[in-house]
Amino acid sequence: MRRLTAILLLGIVLYCPQLSAQEGQRAYSYRDGEHFVDIEGVSVVGQRPIKEIGVQQTTFDSLALKESIALSMADVLSFNSSIFVKSYGRATLSTVAFRGTSPSHTQVTWNGMRINNPMLGMTDFSMIPSYFIDGASLLHGTSSVTETGGGLGGAVKLESRSASNSGFELQYVQGVGSFWTFDEFLRLGYGNDRWQVSTRASLATSSNNYKYTNYDKKINVYDEQMNIVSQYYPEERNRSGAYRDFHLLQELYYTLKNNDRLGLNAWYINSNRELAMLTTDFSDERDFDNRQREQTLRAVLSWDHLRNNYKIAARGGYIHTWMAYDYKRDPGNGIMTTMTRSRSKINTLYASADGEYYIGNKWLFTASLAAHQHFVESRDKNIILQDGNKGIVGYKQARIELAGSVSAKWRPIERLGVSLVLREELFGKEWTPIIPALFVDGVISERGNIVAKASVSRNFRFPTLNDLYFLPGGNPDLRKESGWTYDAGLSFAVGREGVYRLEGSATWFDSHISDWILWLPTAKGFFSPRNIKDVHAYGIELKANLSVALARDWQLDLDGNFSWTPSINEGEPMSPADKSVGKQLPYVPELSATVNGRLGWRTWAFNYKWCYYSERYTMSSGDLSLSGKLPTYFMSNISLEKRFAPKWADLSLRLAINNLFDEEYLSVLSRPMPGINFELFLSITPKWNIGK
Amino acid sequence: MRRLHTYIAICVVLLITGCMKWEYGTEEQFEASGEGLFICNEGNFQYGNATLSYYNPTTHHVENEIFYRANAMKLGDVAQSMTIHRGSGWVVVNNSHVVFEIDLDTFREKGRITGFTSPRYMLFISDEKAYVSQIWDNRIFIINPKSYQITGSITCPNMTMEQGSTEQMVLLGDYVYVNCWSYQNRILKIDTRTDEVVGEVEVGIQPTSLVADYKGRLWSITDGGYSGSPYGYEAAKLYCIDPATMTILGEWRFRMGESPSEIQLNGRGDTLYWLNDDVWAMSVDSQTLPVRPKIESRGTIYYGLTIDPRTEDIYIADAIDYQQQGKIYRYSAAGELIDEFYVGIIPGAFCWK
Repeated sequence: MRRLTAILLLGIVLYCPQLSAQEGQRAYSYRDGEHFVDIEGVSVVGQRPIKEIGVQQTTFDSLALKESIALSMADVLSFNSSIFVKSYGRATLSTVAFRGTSPSHTQVTWNGMRINNPMLGMTDFSMIPSYFIDGASLLHGTSSVTETGGGLGGAVKLESRSASNSGFELQYVQGVGSFWTFDEFLRLGYGNDRWQVSTRASLATSSNNYKYTNYDKKINVYDEQMNIVSQYYPEERNRSGAYRDFHLLQELYYTLKNNDRLGLNAWYINSNRELAMLTTDFSDERDFDNRQREQTLRAVLSWDHLRNNYKIAARGGYIHTWMAYDYKRDPGNGIMTTMTRSRSKINTLYASADGEYYIGNKWLFTASLAAHQHFVESRDKNIILQDGNKGIVGYKQARIELAGSVSAKWRPIERLGVSLVLREELFGKEWTPIIPALFVDGVISERGNIVAKASVSRNFRFPTLNDLYFLPGGNPDLRKESGWTYDAGLSFAVGREGVYRLEGSATWFDSHISDWILWLPTAKGFFSPRNIKDVHAYGIELKANLSVALARDWQLDLDGNFSWTPSINEGEPMSPADKSVGKQLPYVPELSATVNGRLGWRTWAFNYKWCYYSERYTMSSGDLSLSGKLPTYFMSNISLEKRFAPKWADLSLRLAINNLFDEEYLSVLSRPMPGINFELFLSITPKWNIGK
Repeated sequence: MRRLHTYIAICVVLLITGCMKWEYGTEEQFEASGEGLFICNEGNFQYGNATLSYYNPTTHHVENEIFYRANAMKLGDVAQSMTIHRGSGWVVVNNSHVVFEIDLDTFREKGRITGFTSPRYMLFISDEKAYVSQIWDNRIFIINPKSYQITGSITCPNMTMEQGSTEQMVLLGDYVYVNCWSYQNRILKIDTRTDEVVGEVEVGIQPTSLVADYKGRLWSITDGGYSGSPYGYEAAKLYCIDPATMTILGEWRFRMGESPSEIQLNGRGDTLYWLNDDVWAMSVDSQTLPVRPKIESRGTIYYGLTIDPRTEDIYIADAIDYQQQGKIYRYSAAGELIDEFYVGIIPGAFCWK
């Protein structure tokens, strides 16, 4: 009986839509080398978890996350959602922003622990390989309050999950691509009813020296009198752009006899990236070394105690980040000499406790408490002081960040749900006021499964540690940013099990952010942050997904996203000459869209990805200058995959073609992007149960 | 069904035909003879959107992005300064590590010098010799402008590469004087015959700018550093220096927290101007700092200042939020607004033709 109970509880943990983290995902399976898209039937009333009343969420399926070992989460988000990914190039800083807000308004959690850099506030998504993420979802606007505070734009929730419990598993993937790019991935796993152990490692290296025609500068041809006789746009290579990123993820899960579950996730990153030169740089790359290195360890210990009508969970975690930035040049003696030597260390301790309690199937009460204690040391410049001694420009600070929330979710009838969340946060010595969030959803029509959702919340974001303490410029007098966000939307789902499924949603949102923090130069020549802007971001998000069994062995899956996100500066003018009031924020596209199509036939799969951003202003005034402008962005990538299933292993061979139409383009001013490029992947998953 | 197929086909065509364009210009013809004012718009660091503007004080006409329009290529990243020598303009583009020589009337490039660490200002010693000051390098580079070659360097004593900072230069006779700014507190004296540092004088923390008045005396203004700086933080000061003896002749102290900058002289060299929220002016023979500004602030932080050497009109640059076209205000010597016009992002330096 106990064993039966254990199996049932384990089943609930893994599959219960109310309690499992896998909820909301479409199921994909892979059998005998063929792709199967399980096209589920549509039954909205039964599938609306009480925990997600009114929540606007985008969940990524395993096909998107596990499409390629070469993809970072920045790539996945670019092509599978409508949030804006600002990338400074291939394997360089990539930040994401929801609904016209800034990257620091996006909160990111990994297994419950917030991983935003406490010094910068943002997260570099190019440093998160998608193969290390087993579950990812976006919480748009107000919905982020259910998970964390500070997400004025939204939150990205990332999770890794246990290996299967069916013995040994191994997967090895090798990728070889253009620009001397090599990607390797290895996963070793073992699992039984009690233990699941998994080790994942990936190594990505590239010279990243792609060719491009540089239209930002010309090469001069002189005669003997040093008169220019002709000029031409040079064909250059991406200079100083090489990278080497290593990731190791160790996971261990154990299910106790009382079915409590213990987990350990430890993720180590070792990255060494050159910082590519601008298109407008006339120096010789051999004279300079411009490099950023990072070593990060993130570890989370978890305990989950699950019973029929309640759940308690506790987590403890630790993050250590060491970052180094070095800018050196050869002064002519062959020795690289330091011009800038910047080091930062971050140690974060994390602890959280969560509880959920169900009363029947109409009420759910939740409570959570989380603490992040940061210890930060920034050493940005070595100098000689006036007295001849050595000095360091930098700061050393610690900050405690506490967050507590309670919620009551009520579903009086199957067709209606109401949820109230109250959250409060402490950063250092400053409390936020109570952060309220109210969510409502209701089934408007069972025919077509039309569901309406609405929510409203207040939110705050505290200044980052650099905002407050960076030398020079940190401003300890900064106020926290605050905002109100309103969401309302409709969704539908129609389909027939095994034949087709069509889902869609439309969401309107409106948010006002006050005291937006912006770094501006000072009269002393350095930058300093100030609470400067009031921003009104509003718009519409559309999502659609279609899964169709076209014919026997043919499957088509189409995902589409579209966003219209005006993000308007409504602050006071900086001076009488200020033309930015009433204008779209710079670098924020007003329109964005993605389409992701996947056609499967037996053991073949063809994938087409398309991404669009409208023209982005590079000036806050919305003026279009000749020499600083980012035109409309279109990108098309395709891939073709063939799976083989010999007796001893599952194999797959995949060819990816990026930038299919060989576009010459810049993602950010002066940052050239690669033209058409290729990568070939071979994946091997041995079958250990041969002969059984 | 046919309609559906047509619709799908249109969508597919739209998807695959969307293409981007790396926009670049065509070469435009300019003929800007006569007097004029060049404005270096720094642009945003690391974005390569520096531009050059040209203003005709007589016609009140401004042309923006003239380098890009004349040459169909970008000026680069952070246009720091410009100087004119024998009919050519020399534009120092700091983070592009280049100095462009341009024609003053057509704005077409005539040549370029590369190989710098982080150039800031250029000073001509002769037709075949110029100095270029730098930040993040303890050397001043020696240039042959005719051959566009770096021919040598002057190593500044007691200065590391990491803390290297030489700024504005003044030529008086056989000597060049240069202020050392970032985490520095000195004015150096260089013998142009030997290209060696032969003297120095300590001033306050971080002298930002340097000029020489009609009497041949040097004037510099410090910013005093910043709160929390390990190098120190003090009140900003104005200094008058005897270049022959490298001694301080006069020292005027500002209030703690004030950030004076951009010291300038009028054409006769007898009146100093600087920015300190407002625009201030002071006779070089005065014994005290002025109590009232020459021109009051318009509720913004001014970023650049120049005085028309012929008319003594005052030009002030407002960088606004540093992310849009800055604005130039032109005042008469009496302080009356004559003209105002938009230029490029972060207008910081001026150069009179």
